[in-house]
Amino acid sequence: MTPRKRAATSRLGAICTAISRLPRGTGTLIFLMIWEVLARISASSFVIAAPSQILDYSLTHAGLLWRAFITTLWAAARGFFWGNLAGILLALVATLLPRSERLVSTLALLVFCLPLVATGPILRVLFGPGDGPQVTLAALAVYYTTFLPVLVGLRAAPQGWFDLIRSYGRGRLIILRDVRLPAALPYAVAGFQIAAPAAFLGAMVGEFTGAERGLGVLTVRALRALDLPATWSIALLAAGVSICTFSAVGALGRRLDLAPPEVLLAAPVGNPSSRWTGAAQAFLALTVTLSVWHVAMQAYDLPRFFAKRPWDVWRFLTSDPAARAQLFAALSETLSLALPGYLAGLALGAALAMLLTLMPRLSATAIPFAIALRSIPIIASAPLIVWALGRGATGTITVVAVMIFFPTLVACRQGLARTPRAVLDIFAVYASSPIRRLFGAQLPAMLPAFFASARMAIPAAILAVTTAEWLATGRGIGALMATVASTSDYNMLWSAIALIGFAAVMSHALVSMLERWVLSRTNPEQLAR
Amino acid sequence: MTSGVQQDITLQGVTKSFGAPGRQIEAVAPTDLVLQGGSMTALVGPSGCGKSTLLRLISGLEVPTRGQIRIGTETPDQLRRRAGLAVAFQDAALLPWRTVTGNVALGRSLAHRPRDRAAVAELIRLVGLSGFERHRPAELSGGMRQRAAIARALAGLPELLLLDEPFGAVDELTRDRLNTELPPLWEARGATAVLVTHSVTEAVRLSDRIIVLTPRPARVAADIAVTLARTRTAEVLASDAFRAICAQVSQALRLHQASEGIPAQ
Repeated sequence: MTPRKRAATSRLGAICTAISRLPRGTGTLIFLMIWEVLARISASSFVIAAPSQILDYSLTHAGLLWRAFITTLWAAARGFFWGNLAGILLALVATLLPRSERLVSTLALLVFCLPLVATGPILRVLFGPGDGPQVTLAALAVYYTTFLPVLVGLRAAPQGWFDLIRSYGRGRLIILRDVRLPAALPYAVAGFQIAAPAAFLGAMVGEFTGAERGLGVLTVRALRALDLPATWSIALLAAGVSICTFSAVGALGRRLDLAPPEVLLAAPVGNPSSRWTGAAQAFLALTVTLSVWHVAMQAYDLPRFFAKRPWDVWRFLTSDPAARAQLFAALSETLSLALPGYLAGLALGAALAMLLTLMPRLSATAIPFAIALRSIPIIASAPLIVWALGRGATGTITVVAVMIFFPTLVACRQGLARTPRAVLDIFAVYASSPIRRLFGAQLPAMLPAFFASARMAIPAAILAVTTAEWLATGRGIGALMATVASTSDYNMLWSAIALIGFAAVMSHALVSMLERWVLSRTNPEQLAR
Repeated sequence: MTSGVQQDITLQGVTKSFGAPGRQIEAVAPTDLVLQGGSMTALVGPSGCGKSTLLRLISGLEVPTRGQIRIGTETPDQLRRRAGLAVAFQDAALLPWRTVTGNVALGRSLAHRPRDRAAVAELIRLVGLSGFERHRPAELSGGMRQRAAIARALAGLPELLLLDEPFGAVDELTRDRLNTELPPLWEARGATAVLVTHSVTEAVRLSDRIIVLTPRPARVAADIAVTLARTRTAEVLASDAFRAICAQVSQALRLHQASEGIPAQ
């Protein structure tokens, strides 16, 4: 680092320290004043609502907001319960029947990738009026982020603990009770922490599709009317709920005195023993998916008009060239926006995490911010970002990147912090520069966490891009699904869902392959299991 | 405190191999041994020689590739299933979310013994952990963790106690203290015990008989009786007889060191 750069860094650090030393509340006050001024200046562009306007709206509509909030919270709470229960049960099945793990993981991923935009209308038709879709979507939004860490936690125990139980002649149930479940508890709490804001988001999306009450209904109304103070009030309320629930579950974890888990997301299962096992697994997963799809529809005797079977989708895609062309054009437009956003979010998250290790003083200020921003629901932020940046590619790409950026930053920070002390000491002994240390020691330690968040970012990117298209830009497959759902073109809707699910699973497989390829060269110990 | 007769441990032609068929590595060569009930036998050998594998075979955690093991008339598996044995592991294997009391009490409940707070508290006092009952393993030193692990192993009142390098991970001074304070606890119970160690002094100090094993695969190289008074007082440890046995064990170990590093055929 050149002296000039070093001076700049320390000056930045000094500014941060200075800000943090101001009396409590002063910073907030300055922030609110700048916000107010910005809003007044840009009033004509309809992007920023001033704090005074937001306060005014919230106070005059306090009763309305409160009732809507309670409705959504109740649906979110039930979805939170059922989704986490499902996630834990799936993880238990995958642990107790190790052979089923790959299949369970693939199916869980597939269902998680189904776009809320499309499942919402279908659930609405299935459930009719009431809050069934809200609860279901809230559950769907949380089960996967609980399933993964709990699965890791159930398997993370060292061999010695299993030997201990076995040396008393006790079997799998006692191992589960005395070793696996307690060992998985901190992982489950970490999953619940991510799940709490996600459940609220899922419930709000569920309300978009013809619910009578709730914050989601208010959001749609505010968006349609371009009611800026209302949109901002709801966005802030949703963000506040998210941050509160996130912190509350974290506090609960600390109260229970749980050691935070070391790695949150599973490394991929080791290489398949041959090329053919991988292919056979994929084929099995495909068959099971199609059968479950078909059998579920038949078993509940759902009308063919809206509950399309796999065969209907196939026939539709092969028989109607115009529709097919429209579908593929929408999909490729969506993917062409999702991919740059995905890559940018990952790159920026990892880059900032690395930058922060070079400037530790800055990170003390930046990290709490990032954790808070991570939990702002996408449906609150997406319309605002698109309004600010326009309906073109930039807006959508930014929405996707923002959605991925914060989790990646947090995960990469955790990865960097896991660099072995002894390795850092070696670099310190030779007085290596921080840059040298970063690339020689810390970057390899960060890679497993980076790839884990790259895998988790795929469903997040799909959610972000379809939500932005649906709520704001009106283009791509997100908007197509919203349109065909309202015109009851269920062939098109189901085909879109199937294509997105397929694209998500393929991307996931691709990232996993890349991950194995890189980690087998940099961190072989991560794969040997 | 143990129930019934103290059973001999009999090994007949016991072998253990690991790995896929065709590329097997032999960890334990055909072994015949009779370990007398109520005695303490030490298995001594260089690191990675297969002595821990032999212990795991006796505990029933591993199944021999060929041959059979009997404790009295029972297989290790039968003994294990009625919780007649306990293992003290090298890394203590304490469950981090349980307190010292919780970990020791687990030894009782896993062995199907009824809850008994007083017995657990007494054991914790005996191993010298009074005052640390409510501490978690992370708050204990390495030596204290081993004390807790020994207390847990004894809590189930085992007939057979298997010690897998229980003091291997602690420093020399702590090891010396543990070697003085803990053995009387299991000697008082008259349990049959097998100790795996690579410390010659520890083996001679704690056992009635020492089996020296060759490295990879483990094979009995020497069988040395420790003809010292059962209570190993400071005088006994300073005696010429003690040093003579140590020298005998060391020599047996050195004799077979030549083969180390050469892969087994």
